[in-house]
Amino acid sequence: AGGPKPLPSSGPKSLREMPHPLATTSSEEMGPALTPSPDLLLPRSIADKDLSLPNGTPVDTSSPASSSSLLNRLQLDDDFDGETRDLFVTVDDPKKHVCTMETYITYRVTTKTTRAEFDLPEYSVRRRYQDFDWLRNKLEESQPTHLIPPLPEKFVVKGVVDRFSEEFVETRRKALDKFLKRITDHPVLSFNEHFNVFLTAKDLNAYKKQGMALLSKMGESVKYVTGGYKLRSRPLEFAAIGEYLDTFSLKLGTIDRIAQRIIKEQLEYLVELREYGPVYSTWGGLEVELSEPLEGVSACIGNCCTALEELSEEMTEDFLPVLREYILYSESMKNVLKKRDQVQAEYEAKLEAVALKKEDRPKVPTDVEKCQDRVECFNADLKADMERWQNNKRQDFRQLLMGMADKNIQYYEKCLTAWESIIPLLQDKPETK
Amino acid sequence: MEDCLAKKMEITVSEAEKRTGRNAMNMQETYTAYLIETRAVETQSEGQCAPVDSLWRRYSEFELLRNYLSVTYPHIVVPPLPEKRADFVWHKLSADNMDPDFVERRRIGLENFLLRVASHPVLCQDKIFYSFLTQEAGWKEMVNETGFQLKADSRLKALNATFRVKNPDKRFTELKHYSDELQSVISHLLRVRARVADRLYGVYKVHGNYGRVFSEWSAIEKEMGDGLQSAGHHMDVYAASIDDILEEEEHYADQLKEYLFYAEALRAVCRKHELMQYDLEMAAQDLTTKKQQCEELATGTVRTFSLKGMTSKLFGQETPEQREAKIKVLEEQIQEGEEQLKSKNLEGRDFVKSAWADIERFKEQKNHDLKEALISYAVMQISMCKKGIQVWTNAKECFSKM
Repeated sequence: AGGPKPLPSSGPKSLREMPHPLATTSSEEMGPALTPSPDLLLPRSIADKDLSLPNGTPVDTSSPASSSSLLNRLQLDDDFDGETRDLFVTVDDPKKHVCTMETYITYRVTTKTTRAEFDLPEYSVRRRYQDFDWLRNKLEESQPTHLIPPLPEKFVVKGVVDRFSEEFVETRRKALDKFLKRITDHPVLSFNEHFNVFLTAKDLNAYKKQGMALLSKMGESVKYVTGGYKLRSRPLEFAAIGEYLDTFSLKLGTIDRIAQRIIKEQLEYLVELREYGPVYSTWGGLEVELSEPLEGVSACIGNCCTALEELSEEMTEDFLPVLREYILYSESMKNVLKKRDQVQAEYEAKLEAVALKKEDRPKVPTDVEKCQDRVECFNADLKADMERWQNNKRQDFRQLLMGMADKNIQYYEKCLTAWESIIPLLQDKPETK
Repeated sequence: MEDCLAKKMEITVSEAEKRTGRNAMNMQETYTAYLIETRAVETQSEGQCAPVDSLWRRYSEFELLRNYLSVTYPHIVVPPLPEKRADFVWHKLSADNMDPDFVERRRIGLENFLLRVASHPVLCQDKIFYSFLTQEAGWKEMVNETGFQLKADSRLKALNATFRVKNPDKRFTELKHYSDELQSVISHLLRVRARVADRLYGVYKVHGNYGRVFSEWSAIEKEMGDGLQSAGHHMDVYAASIDDILEEEEHYADQLKEYLFYAEALRAVCRKHELMQYDLEMAAQDLTTKKQQCEELATGTVRTFSLKGMTSKLFGQETPEQREAKIKVLEEQIQEGEEQLKSKNLEGRDFVKSAWADIERFKEQKNHDLKEALISYAVMQISMCKKGIQVWTNAKECFSKM
């Protein structure tokens, strides 16, 4: 394969070409200070319009960083985020609840913030997986043009995995924490109303019921995609993203299988090692002068067994789940791409229908205009989210793979220490004792 | 150590060569011949080195030599030969005797055998051994002429003795126990080690797959590409490193195997003792019986049941002349028997003394060698760990550049 293909796009300029956001006093005042470019003008006109989704749900434009805003376009790097971050969310403290109907786990969700959208600077609530799932669904519904981070898998085969084991709960907790942190880092999603309620409400169920009632009143399905329109030509950059995601999830799948295979081989190796070590001990029992050296070797092998067990556990708990998370992420992203295709297809179909009428109209009907806006809005959101996703992905994998290397280094260091420590024991002459 | 051959002469088994020839049944066969090189050690550094003598020997000749030594020096723990057929192999190793790796390890094993014999205070002085090293032609005939095969104890006789001996030396009984257990534990160890090697091989090799997939993945990445690609290379290095590691470990396995076979040599000395002791007991028993018979004949009392006694009762007693003749024969036999018993006793005591001396020598050698083997094993493991740390550190650095 040749070198990596850059995504061709007519999108936002690179960070270097834009004046630094901190050049102005606050993010809200960015407008006049920046050199307007044709692309940048467009979102501002959209922001002025009354945007609504095909199903009637109003798009959240209350935040200063509304969909396709300038803030979204500017690639904020880490340091910048760290300086201006005003929302911190953590998931910890899993607790088991035993009720008559069911047993389940809740997690503590702690929020610290200076944002005006929150009444208090600190919140601490308890949430269960169901609640996270609800949040994710709500975000998908209300922000269909954005990439919503994945949740850890919902269903676990009972009997195969112990839902209440420490390892499972800890793995899940980490994934849920990651989920909320990704939303927190997102300039649009973090201002979502449902997210706010999730973080703050004492009784989330009441709010949920309210939402459901509203929906049933509207009587419409929540499905965003109208479907039935055939896309004529996908813009190059989105086709590229689609191809990228296909190959990406394929490669991740392969890596997942390799990692699983390695763990399996390591465990089989461990089984043999566990038989191997004690034989030296048995032999030591037969000998006089060699008794201590042989016992030493036996103990040493035992230490290596422990180290190996730890390595396999860590890989299972820390490495594999993150890989799977990204595979899920890719899947949901591909769905968003499909939705985007649908929106564009709908627009193209309507435009064509108008053109075919060949009527002498000076302006394009509003609903076609709305479609055009939707397409451009979606494209801009998606592009921005993709760049953000790419950057985060790079950091996440950098951390993940460095972590894998670290675990292996630690394993070898433990074994090294064990073997080095018995050298003096082996070399010891009986007279010196 | 006294002046053993090893100090006066350099001995190496330097080469191995495949040969074809005709065997005893005139059928074509393939075998490996080994080149033994010898050279006198110069005591003064006077410029010129002594010339190298060399001759070719095959495994069966080594076997013949060892059999000769075992029979001729039954009180010595005779060094064992490397295994005839590849045993305790893990899957990647070939069980084929013609496999070059096996031949190479056998070459080393045969050299080790010769050095062991050459540094043994008693064995190194043996003429047949010296001729083995220096005289290619006619050596086989020379060995057979010693008639050692006749001296060899039958296996059946030895087994019989093991079961029936009444008072073996306690130390030998313990030693027999020890050598049985040693054989058992080392076999177990070698078997499990082979399985461990197999599994470890699998773990390392699967990592090679990372190399390929990282490379494929890097093709679709922009900034991550280089880091992934170079990390993948390190994964390939890691996967390949196991081959050398396991080959080195085979030497450790060979060291253990030597002592596995040494256990058999120990057992042989114990068996010899049992045989001699049994022989002695039988001779003593025989003597006692004859003395009793003599006494009975002389006093006319029958204390023990005998067929002769019964028949004489039934068919009439013997004449006094017949009795006198019998007593005379018995007395001669008793005298002979007493002398034999004396010499057998002496033999037995000598055997125990010299055998035990060699056993003590062997114990020290074993403790020293096995300690060295364990140290070298630990060193191998340390080296493997350091390599692992190196590779993963390199990979980590590549990942950090992603």
